[in-house]
Amino acid sequence: MKLKKILCVVLSLAICVSLVSCGNSNKGRTEDGRIAISTSGWPDPDSPNYPKALEREQGFEEANPDVDLVGDTWTFDLKTFYPKAESGTLPTIYRCNFTEIQRIIDGEYAADLTKALKKRGYDGKFSKMVEDVISRNGRIYSVPISTYILGLAINMDLFKEAGLVEADGTPKQPKDWYEMAEFAKQIKEKTGKDGFVMPTMNNAGGWIFTVIAWSFGAEFMKQDEDGSWIATFDSPECTEALQFIKDLKWKYGVFPQNTLIDNNGTAEYLATGRAAMMLTSGSIGNQMATYSINPNSLGMVAIPAGPKRYVTLLGGDTRAVREDATEEQIDACLRFLEYTGNGYDIDEPGKQALRDTMEQSKARGAIIGIKSLSPWNEESPKQKFQNELIEENANISPNNVRLYNEFLNDTTVEVQPEEPICAQDLYGILDNCIQKVLGDKNADCAALLKKANTDFQTNFLNNY
Amino acid sequence: MSSNKCKKAKKSEKGSFYKKSFVSSWLFAVPAIILMYLFIWRPTVMGFVWSLFKMKGYTPKFYIGIQNYVEVMRDTQFIPLFLNTLKYVLWSIIVGFLPPVLLAIIVNEMVYFKQKIMTFLYLPAIIPAIAVSLLWKQMYDPTEIGLLNIILAKFGMSPYQWLGDGNFTILWIVVSMTWKSFPGAMLLYYSALQGVNQELYEAATIDGAGLLKRAWYVTRPQIMGVLILNFVRQIIGVFQVMEQPLAMTGGGPDGASASLGYQLYKYGFVTQRVGHAMALGTIIFVVLIFMTIFYFRLNKKLEETL
Repeated sequence: MKLKKILCVVLSLAICVSLVSCGNSNKGRTEDGRIAISTSGWPDPDSPNYPKALEREQGFEEANPDVDLVGDTWTFDLKTFYPKAESGTLPTIYRCNFTEIQRIIDGEYAADLTKALKKRGYDGKFSKMVEDVISRNGRIYSVPISTYILGLAINMDLFKEAGLVEADGTPKQPKDWYEMAEFAKQIKEKTGKDGFVMPTMNNAGGWIFTVIAWSFGAEFMKQDEDGSWIATFDSPECTEALQFIKDLKWKYGVFPQNTLIDNNGTAEYLATGRAAMMLTSGSIGNQMATYSINPNSLGMVAIPAGPKRYVTLLGGDTRAVREDATEEQIDACLRFLEYTGNGYDIDEPGKQALRDTMEQSKARGAIIGIKSLSPWNEESPKQKFQNELIEENANISPNNVRLYNEFLNDTTVEVQPEEPICAQDLYGILDNCIQKVLGDKNADCAALLKKANTDFQTNFLNNY
Repeated sequence: MSSNKCKKAKKSEKGSFYKKSFVSSWLFAVPAIILMYLFIWRPTVMGFVWSLFKMKGYTPKFYIGIQNYVEVMRDTQFIPLFLNTLKYVLWSIIVGFLPPVLLAIIVNEMVYFKQKIMTFLYLPAIIPAIAVSLLWKQMYDPTEIGLLNIILAKFGMSPYQWLGDGNFTILWIVVSMTWKSFPGAMLLYYSALQGVNQELYEAATIDGAGLLKRAWYVTRPQIMGVLILNFVRQIIGVFQVMEQPLAMTGGGPDGASASLGYQLYKYGFVTQRVGHAMALGTIIFVVLIFMTIFYFRLNKKLEETL
């Protein structure tokens, strides 16, 4: 009985102590006086990438003896981000994507990096478009690592079977959406496989649809003079865009039977040869590693133009610093980014870090050869080195992706960031419209969009 | 006199025993109380408090009264989501309530291989809910490679949309939920059946009652208490459905399978409307607390009658 009581008391105390010690207020320095920083995305100790990460940590600490770097295995995920941020356990510097950065800034989870960036000579070195995405009221809150624009990924095997490849192996470029639909139809007729697939759920369908709708001339929202936002997508242009999606399923017959497909699902359709085309970013090369496909089965071309605009969507990957970081921690984080080859300039350790990352991607089975848009201005030595590295390590025929790589420098295409506010809410509502038109051949596109427009205005914009 | 002393001494011994027992009882309860405070009571109260504030992330900024409740209930999706949640409950009663009862009766009537069959039937319960959802999602694949469509093809039928058919998406989700949850309920009914006096069955058999009559006239009245309690528990459980639509359909097609629980998840973790999430959580809590009060009253009444 006595033993039980003691055990009980000890257990209670242990729980209290462990709960009290939960959370982590940022102290800024270690006990030995070094600047303490931690970084997200650290590999697990049993990962093959772990030794390289340790090497990088040691190298960084040797080059920066005033900094103590700790790796955190957490990677960005919306479900875990907010609990971590609220409990004070976010790493000092963490990865997030362009889609989320504005909400993270609004939520006051990211530190203002403007002063530190200026001090390290980053003034005027960001691409203007990217700077708009990572800024709020003229202040910069994150450092872009990579940027992309949407293009059209294709399954080369199906393209070849359908006779849609030039003599030199370059896939044919559909000039506009209707030509793309014709290509898809040709593929269906010649191979029996679906010509086009796009995600339809988890907000990914809406995300892709916005780009298609922009090219048809649609606008999703506008700000009035009094500052309020008005939903504007119950328009003939947006209806035409939704009708196009509907036609892909019911008129051309080139869309899969499944009307509930997520982002991973579309990649699976393409990789396994069940669909021939999908809209995606250059990161599809990494995504394909999951399916161990022959690299030359993948190709990528420019996004088709719409009837009104030739436009694509800007996205990317960025690094933010937790809001309570001290000035010296922010500076140490920027030094770490530069050391790992993620700054504007690049030195030997940075080059080595990029080479290591490239080796790891190749070992994982990623497809190398698709370039990305530069987050920096055109003179960035880092971007030049990265593009050279891609060319050196390419495991795909250059012609498979030539049209997409050229598209990155195409000045005729408009590059547009996501909608300025309530983007995820909008995507959710558009997902419903897409699912409806793909599931019901009698669906009335105009009526659906009118209701969606009202819902978006009532449920989101009016409460913004 | 000595007898009085003896009585007092005994009383004091008894008192100290009760005191000791009281203290040790509390000590045993402390870990559970702390955990319940941290993971149930505090979040519930904080959720309600925060539902009255304008939130910035998870930080309350300023008091706005019932504004979050008004916005949540004015949301054009609120009524459809509430109706969808009721559909989940309804389908779960139609599809999920009777199978475990029937299986428990069948197993109870078995003479041979009872334990082996029980073990086999219990297997779905040990698979994590998300894994079950993904497994069934594959089975419901609307193309020719979906398991259920392969079966349909064997009978010369064309592939069916399954989860893509908005009229029945909830039904198919409930079927997968039932497959996962029936073993637990079955075990509960089985244990209740074990408590039924065998002499009643023997008497019924002598009177010429077959399996069905025995089930109706002997088994049913004997396990009625467990049946009713499980019925209410099932309603409470299914009303909170969230992970199945999340994993299988993302609430689609066209919101046909989205539930209040799923909307709560979206508010909290996807669209970052924490105030709305807290308000919706409180609304669900209020509905469930009424059901729980009903459950406890029913439980008490049944205990009194049994």
